[in-house]
Amino acid sequence: MSGVDIASIKTNLEAQISAVTSSAELEEFRLKYLGRRGVLAELTAVIPSLPKEQRAAFGQEVNVLKDRIAGLIDEKQRYLGVATAAGGGIKVDIGLPGIAQELGHLHPVTQVITEICGIFTRLGFAVMEGPEVESEYNNFTGLNIPLEHPSRDAFDTFYLKDYQKLLLRSHTSPVQIRAMKAAKPPLAVVVPGRVYRPDAVDASHLFVFHQIEGFMVDKDIAFSDLKGVLEVFAKAVFGQKIKMRFRPHFFPFTEPSAEVDISCIICQGKGCSVCGRKGWLEILGSGMIHPEVFRHVGYDPAKFSGFAFGMGIERIAMLKYGIDDIRLFFENDLRFLKQF
Amino acid sequence: MKFTYNWLKDFANIKIAPSALAEKLTMAGLEVTSVRKLDSDFVFEAEVTSNRPDLLSILGIAREIAAITSTKLKPGAPKPKIKPGAKSAGFKIAVTDKKDCPLYTARIIRGVKVGPSPAWLRERLEAVGCRSINNIVDITNYFLFQYGQPLHAFDWDKLQKGGIVVRRAAKNESITTIDGDIKELIPEILVITDDQKAVAIAGIMGGADTEVSDNTQNILLEAAVFDPVVVRRGRCLLGLDSESAYRFERGVDLNSVEEVSLRATGLIQELAGGNYYLAAAAGLRRAPAKKVNLNCANVKRLLGIEIAAPRIKKILSGLGLTVKSLAKDRLDVAIPSYRRDLNTAIDLIEEIARIFGYENIPTTVPAVANSATLNTAIDLVSMVKGILVGLGSSEVTTYSLIDKKSLQDAGISGADTVEIRNPLSREQEILRPTLIPSLMRCVSYNLNQKQNSISIFEVAKVFCSRQASPKEELVLGFALCGTRSWLSEQGLVKDNFGVLHLKGITETLLQRLGINDYSFVSKGDAVEVLLGEQKLGTFLKPAREIRERFDIKNKEVVIAQLSLETIFKSCNLARKFSPLPLYPGIFRDLSLILKEDVLAQDLLATIRQQAGNLLETASIIDYYRGKQIPPGYKGLTISCFYRSPERTLTEEQVNPLHASTCRALEERFSARLR
Repeated sequence: MSGVDIASIKTNLEAQISAVTSSAELEEFRLKYLGRRGVLAELTAVIPSLPKEQRAAFGQEVNVLKDRIAGLIDEKQRYLGVATAAGGGIKVDIGLPGIAQELGHLHPVTQVITEICGIFTRLGFAVMEGPEVESEYNNFTGLNIPLEHPSRDAFDTFYLKDYQKLLLRSHTSPVQIRAMKAAKPPLAVVVPGRVYRPDAVDASHLFVFHQIEGFMVDKDIAFSDLKGVLEVFAKAVFGQKIKMRFRPHFFPFTEPSAEVDISCIICQGKGCSVCGRKGWLEILGSGMIHPEVFRHVGYDPAKFSGFAFGMGIERIAMLKYGIDDIRLFFENDLRFLKQF
Repeated sequence: MKFTYNWLKDFANIKIAPSALAEKLTMAGLEVTSVRKLDSDFVFEAEVTSNRPDLLSILGIAREIAAITSTKLKPGAPKPKIKPGAKSAGFKIAVTDKKDCPLYTARIIRGVKVGPSPAWLRERLEAVGCRSINNIVDITNYFLFQYGQPLHAFDWDKLQKGGIVVRRAAKNESITTIDGDIKELIPEILVITDDQKAVAIAGIMGGADTEVSDNTQNILLEAAVFDPVVVRRGRCLLGLDSESAYRFERGVDLNSVEEVSLRATGLIQELAGGNYYLAAAAGLRRAPAKKVNLNCANVKRLLGIEIAAPRIKKILSGLGLTVKSLAKDRLDVAIPSYRRDLNTAIDLIEEIARIFGYENIPTTVPAVANSATLNTAIDLVSMVKGILVGLGSSEVTTYSLIDKKSLQDAGISGADTVEIRNPLSREQEILRPTLIPSLMRCVSYNLNQKQNSISIFEVAKVFCSRQASPKEELVLGFALCGTRSWLSEQGLVKDNFGVLHLKGITETLLQRLGINDYSFVSKGDAVEVLLGEQKLGTFLKPAREIRERFDIKNKEVVIAQLSLETIFKSCNLARKFSPLPLYPGIFRDLSLILKEDVLAQDLLATIRQQAGNLLETASIIDYYRGKQIPPGYKGLTISCFYRSPERTLTEEQVNPLHASTCRALEERFSARLR
């Protein structure tokens, strides 16, 4: 018996007192150390067998230890006392239903629009909206889509009965015309909103759905900027690991035009039923704003350039959330809505 | 559009496998959607964009392949040798408007034997989706697919011999087309006629009377160019479609008309015999030359990468354009007639970019400067949605086009609704003037899925008719149906949704947006929500008859619609601090027995008036419906809280106020205190 024993007893005290969580355990602890046959009693019993000159020092250490243990017991007692005295302690069957104000759910289309707008506002874009009833000029002519040309066939529209030349917009691009006419460059804008196309409704088509348009106009915007911004966007929405490819395409309002594919997020590009075995998923159309569009809004294409892009929100949501039928978005089954 | 590997190899030097070719074409802008093996050949299916009519032919695609693989086209087959024919005395071609038909050519071949086509011809046509008819018709189709030039063969003996007139149809003129239908014609439509009558709808479909049949011995072969807009109009007006019309609408190459006609004549003589011909033509024999100036500096500016002038020249020449250097970095580019899509410098820049390869253009992230201003309405809408979600409601999106019947079913007037001119079905007849029928349908659908507790909302536009253009207004609609229940430690709590829940949601929303001068007024069966004097919205509880029309049985529904535009004009998000009260207040409860018809509003108004400024709040906190209440009466408990901003109130100060309030209630409403 020596100082070594006292040191090791001291080291274990903290761990042992923390392990005490009830009055019963505390009593065990007290008996172990301070009881008639406890640790301190043993230590005290050792004193007579020590050399005379060590007895005083040793006795002092034992007293210090005893005070410390008593102090720890007191503290613990108070702590436990509070807990048990107040009638606390959890006594309810925790398997019973929790009680809370149930939260509602934002529609997945709203959630995707919020996410996309968030990405662009962080880049410095502003969010704008436009009317759903549009003029033929803003929907077609101003966007360099001649009214009597096959390129018009891709943009079939609903016309209004009692109004000449008014229709339901078939894309959000008309807001480009509005924004550019209302303000001077530089501009960086995203436009979410409802659009209408007379399409038969099936698992991948609706006659009313949501799109988001984006465009940027400044002195020297280049195709490389379009690629860069869309890469930032696509990786933010679908993950940093996706690959992207830009495929030449045709839109009357952009030149050069591109369709943008991402590597299929379901099969990682290997080929599956979702991507039609191609390994690529088309997510949006884009291009450099056509000089004719600039002329229509009174911007000089020699001074300014810009890019534009557009995508279907339901399509992005279907890819992101793995939804397989576009009609679910407008069916509004609460069992669907509550998943998001 | 279909084409085959072997047919392409007649024109292009293809050294790569079909799948690799498909990939290369797709990445250059001609999206190949499928490649299928067919005996010893491969059939490609691709989507040709409307700006590239030159790709609607084997030759066109072969040119594209040469450009993207940096190879040359194979030298073409030699032109057939045709013996010169008789002078065309007596046979004339007249075109009334050369804008409608810039060039019309005709060749007459006599002594042909109409029969089946040889196997190679039938197979090629069938591979691209064209039915084999007879050797003459098949040859016209063959050249359509091969060169993109539509041809038409008439039975020469069924035509008047004086010549061909290309003109607009007369009113009341008609023609029986080869599909057997009689088509009524109008002056918008361009027709091919002989001296007497219309024999074909120009560029779209031939007439049945002059069709080449098994007995035909002499034919007139037409090769022409028709105006795209006229052909499109005719096609839309008559509801017709054909491979010819498809190409004329997008534009055919004027410079190749006569050569294709010549080659077709050669093949007809080879396969069907015939040895006498005469030829006639009217119109522009050569398309005007087209030149575009390109400043190479603009290539870098627009694409974001420097491409050296020699490289640019190589790309453009590979596409069949003739390039001359004018000065440093300035090019003069001659555009061949078959590239109708290349008209300005920007068109050339796109060609350069796609042949150079979009994947070789770097990605850069620009610095974003913006003069566009913040849109507060969008943030407010987010706030509104967030509040509704926090109150337990889920967002729905419903169709903005509905049928008129929905409005009628919901008991809503259809006056001033905006109608659609070309709906695909009844479901798309009108733009909705209110969200109510849509929300009813949504509630009904979810009830059928056995939902017991429905709380839904939608933020969307509603439309009504105005003089110059329809008015679009943003509204918030929400609907409640069923019971919200939860298991508290005291037992099951059931809260049936009703109009007061609509009120609660509305008050929470308005207060959160800093709007306080709202009021609720019962009007008939509905409740109007007012902002000052202005109408802000409505609460409805549709009658059983209306509910049943929406297939909602045995459940009550309450619906609200509020104008967000009105709310946003009045909302006030600015907050101003009020110092915290310094002195405690005193509660006094009142338990009253009143006649059933006494309104809470009136009670509270009387209390506030009577108790004066020291009354901080008065609110109804409980109902009493026990046995002591006689029929026709109700029991209410009202809690009043008195406080002074200047000192601690005492019982002595409050008691007289409270007593006089009680007396006023007794007097005004014959209320009895319990």
